[in-house]
Amino acid sequence: MIEKIKQIEQEAQTEIATVQTLDHLELFRVKYIARKGLVPTLFDSLKTLESSIRPEMGKHLNDLRNKVQKLFDDKKEALEKNLHSEKESIDLTLPGRKRWIGTKHPITQTLDEIKRIFFKMGFEVAEGPEIEDDYHNFEALNFPPDHPARDMQDTFFVSDKILLRTHTSPVQIRVMEKQKPPVRVIMPGRVYRNEAISSRSYCLFHQVEGLYVDTRVTFSELKGTLVAFAKQFYGSNIKFRFRPSFFPFTEPSAEMDITCFLCKGSGCRVCKQTGWLEILGCGMVHPNVLKNVNYDPDKYSGYAFGMGIERIAMLMYGIDDIRILYQNDLRFLKQF
Amino acid sequence: MRISLNWLKQYVEINQTPEELAHSLTMLGLEVESIERLGDKYNNFFVGKVVNVQKHPKADKLTVCQVDVGEKTLQIVCGAPNIAENQIVAVGLEGAIVPKNQHDPEGKPFQLSKVSLRGTESNGMICSEYELDLGEDKDGILILKINAPIGTPLSKYLDLDDIIFEIGVTPNRPDALSHIGIAREVATIQNKTISLPVTKVIEDTAKISSKVSIKIEDPDNCPRYSARLLTDLKIKSSPEWLKQRLKSIDIRSVNNIVDITNYVMMECGHPLHAFDYDKLEQGMIVIKCAEENQPFITLDHKERKLRKDTLMICDSHKPIAIAGVMGGENSEITKDTKTILLESAYFLPRSIRKTSKHFSLVSDASQRFERGADPNGTIWAINRAAQLIQEIAGGKVLNGIIDVYPKIVEGEKVILRLSKLIEIVGITIPKEMVIEILSKLSIKVIDISRRENDDTIIVQTPTFRPDLQLEIDIIEEVARIYGYDNIPVHQASLIKFSENAPIKNQISEMKAHFIGAGMSEIITNSMQTIQTALLSSPHPVQISNPISRDMESLRTSLLPNMLEVIRENIFRGTTLVRLFEFGNIYFNNPYIAGKYLKEYQEVAMLTIGLSGSANRVNWDEKSRFYDIFDIKGEIESFFEKISLDNIKFIPYSTTNALSESDLRIEINSEYIGTIGMIRKDVLKRFGIEQDVVFADIDVDKIIKLADIKKKFMSLSKFPSVIRDIALVVHRTVQMDRIEEVIKQYGSELLRKVELFDRYTGEQIGKDNVSYAFSLEFISSDHTLTQNEVDKVFNNITKKLEQQLKAVIRQ
Ligand SMILES: [Zn+2]
Repeated sequence: MIEKIKQIEQEAQTEIATVQTLDHLELFRVKYIARKGLVPTLFDSLKTLESSIRPEMGKHLNDLRNKVQKLFDDKKEALEKNLHSEKESIDLTLPGRKRWIGTKHPITQTLDEIKRIFFKMGFEVAEGPEIEDDYHNFEALNFPPDHPARDMQDTFFVSDKILLRTHTSPVQIRVMEKQKPPVRVIMPGRVYRNEAISSRSYCLFHQVEGLYVDTRVTFSELKGTLVAFAKQFYGSNIKFRFRPSFFPFTEPSAEMDITCFLCKGSGCRVCKQTGWLEILGCGMVHPNVLKNVNYDPDKYSGYAFGMGIERIAMLMYGIDDIRILYQNDLRFLKQF
Repeated sequence: MRISLNWLKQYVEINQTPEELAHSLTMLGLEVESIERLGDKYNNFFVGKVVNVQKHPKADKLTVCQVDVGEKTLQIVCGAPNIAENQIVAVGLEGAIVPKNQHDPEGKPFQLSKVSLRGTESNGMICSEYELDLGEDKDGILILKINAPIGTPLSKYLDLDDIIFEIGVTPNRPDALSHIGIAREVATIQNKTISLPVTKVIEDTAKISSKVSIKIEDPDNCPRYSARLLTDLKIKSSPEWLKQRLKSIDIRSVNNIVDITNYVMMECGHPLHAFDYDKLEQGMIVIKCAEENQPFITLDHKERKLRKDTLMICDSHKPIAIAGVMGGENSEITKDTKTILLESAYFLPRSIRKTSKHFSLVSDASQRFERGADPNGTIWAINRAAQLIQEIAGGKVLNGIIDVYPKIVEGEKVILRLSKLIEIVGITIPKEMVIEILSKLSIKVIDISRRENDDTIIVQTPTFRPDLQLEIDIIEEVARIYGYDNIPVHQASLIKFSENAPIKNQISEMKAHFIGAGMSEIITNSMQTIQTALLSSPHPVQISNPISRDMESLRTSLLPNMLEVIRENIFRGTTLVRLFEFGNIYFNNPYIAGKYLKEYQEVAMLTIGLSGSANRVNWDEKSRFYDIFDIKGEIESFFEKISLDNIKFIPYSTTNALSESDLRIEINSEYIGTIGMIRKDVLKRFGIEQDVVFADIDVDKIIKLADIKKKFMSLSKFPSVIRDIALVVHRTVQMDRIEEVIKQYGSELLRKVELFDRYTGEQIGKDNVSYAFSLEFISSDHTLTQNEVDKVFNNITKKLEQQLKAVIRQ
């Protein structure tokens, strides 16, 4: 019996080595492992043995069965793996199936980032019309009729007293007309200027206006808010300066500059050799404006600021022609 | 405003470098936009002496000159007819940029390099007056004074070592539109005093009053009119120093009289005007408004139709100048002028601005008057001009000034509360410092309260600062001089946040959806031609002063812009486009109330445009072009994303200006938008050779309908049952009708109906269509039994058979 077991084991080992296909392996299985195969047949012959040696022989037989089974399993795994890799022998350097890629316009990206920062600082969003009346666009903002300050903003007119807003500041008036202080809003939107179209100016652009009116709002606070914005937007190591300027609806008025991030302040073409980049205009809400919306200027004060989104986007991405933002060339849009 | 540093130094001591000065001015609100070194224009130009002139061996018109330029003698080929030995000339060396090219029609500058002219080496260029931009003479080289030191840089010889600051003066600061005005600001921050030139006029014994009479008929628009009479003048060109001064700030020299009036205006900011006295009837000046439609020819030889609100300077018979804007041709100074009447007046800013706007006529004078000249500055200016005229043009100044000034204009009296100053600025500036700042600015302190709890200071503003009227104006001045940078950066530790929970920015979320769906956002112009605007609405908003005809209307649809963007992209080689735009369209419909303005409506729209291959080019997929079902699918997915249901797509029967195969989108019977295909003839007009499918959706409406407050709905714990149904119907039965029947009889158990197959073919009869749907049933409170589902399912099949004559296939 022992010899028989050893013989089968050897035969199986020799034979398995010659197996190359799954079909051949099946023959192997039938010959050794299947119900009528050599190993089960040996098990059957166990009962013909003397009961004293049966357990020992049984143990040997079990070993044999495990060994043959393992030979079979290993071979099967190896063959299947081979077969699998043969199927996959397709050229894997072929490109994958790509999906479409969408893009967000750089103006939207810039605006979204500005909004995100002001949301964190407690500002809400307000909106107003692009077709405005003279009162909201100019008069209520302390631009008297026939005042040279109106020349600062070349205007498209729809009729005598109706125009395309030249800035988002009229939204300030509309918000304050509807709401009592405190007011803390930003007002993004499209504005129009009747200027010749060139690489530096387009007939329309986008602004974000900000307004905060409450008791005890100061210029110092205005600086604080805008510096906090600029540091979040441009990085906390920027340098900044506020210099006096003029807007009819704010007083004192200022322009905020930051160190040119292209030349780090040493002077270049973009900053016109000054080392500084103007990023926004701001100031304390003029008492006449507060009076126009029936706020008591002795009780309330406020600040306002405004920035041009295209300008900021152009500086940020190094775009030197504003018109490209409105051409919507996909080769351009896909860069963002 | 161009400000010359050398000129400025006449009034105030300046120790700073030009860059430091520019910074100081900028930080005072007088933004220096550029610094120009005039001398730089003549880098590499020197004074030279022509030591030898020989004929060019190969060219008759050329000479070969040896020119001593100080350190060396150079050979230069010259073409000028007036060249001669021992001349002192201006020589440009290699690298010099010649300001004007005589041989270029526009006179564009060019750079000199070593050249060979007809085989002879030339190491520079002897220049003409024109080439050096010093005058118009092109006929020969410029010959300098014989004693000019050889080898001197030309800029130094010409006294061009000046620096010009281009200052952006804001409209509230007319006082800064002059050299003395800027000097005043420089003195303020540098703790210096300005020194004004002393005006000394030597008057003749003859009196002006015997020759001139002045009457202001409109004292509101002309509060002051001062005049002098100067006789026995010689009109000629101005001396070099005066020409140079004016040239440095870009003012053309005309003659000595006109130049002096311009010089004084640029010196002190007060505009002056000179009339040829002999052309005035009866030596009379009357200031009054014109008659409507009266014609008048201004100095620029243009005829203008006056209006009855145009303030005019007249003699006894006729108008002779548009007050404060421009003189008339009929009283112009000419070379024969002997006697002038010199005007120094103050006009009301509003009146001047109206006139200047009406005639689109802007002059240096009108700019200053409309911003506000100094009513008390007329006398200094007229005396300064009289003195200079006497020095330069000779002649006599008659005794006396006629000064009509019925009501003296005084500076504004303003109460400044220090508490308000603190409240606005945010820090305490000591009272003494405030008073010091005010005095530096010539703001007179007329009273300081000594009472307790009273922090007021009463001040009077100088009349050259018309922008200072209110307390806030004084506060700004104090802050400006104190320095904005010295005001600390402070942010309140407690920010007031809104009481309302933030409303999600829905547009942002929608944009994110389309970007995720592989589309690119575009942003386009909101102005278009009226023809384009009329394609989509009979009520476009028209612009009365458009930049050009292609922008005379506001857009009434985003589609035309979309088509243009598609065309441009295809033209540039990008033929696969998936685009969307969120933007407003505008109407002027008198019958609809706008949200903000009566008669004007603004509607937020979303437009999508798809064109080209519907799938990305792939090596194992067949490409096909977009059709209506692609755009429909995009919109269905979008509505699914924003949880909008009850959507109906209804085929249009009417034709549209731009599109065909349109489907109206309706939600709860309300019109939401359109999807469709752009018509072939429209595509052709736009120059697009591939199909375009589009969607055009009213954003305000979907925002209103979309469920913005997303609430969690508990998920069913029980399994769903899927049943498929296949049926054959006549081809006239539309798919949505089948779906409607299924839904109608699906009971509350039916959750979803999905079409997964559609088939036409001979086997089912050529007039038939076969559909296969998958139906999902579910209950929220128990596991459905086969029986329950069977009941509903059988009812559906029965109704399909009855109502649509459908044949159910097993
Ligand atoms: Zn720079």
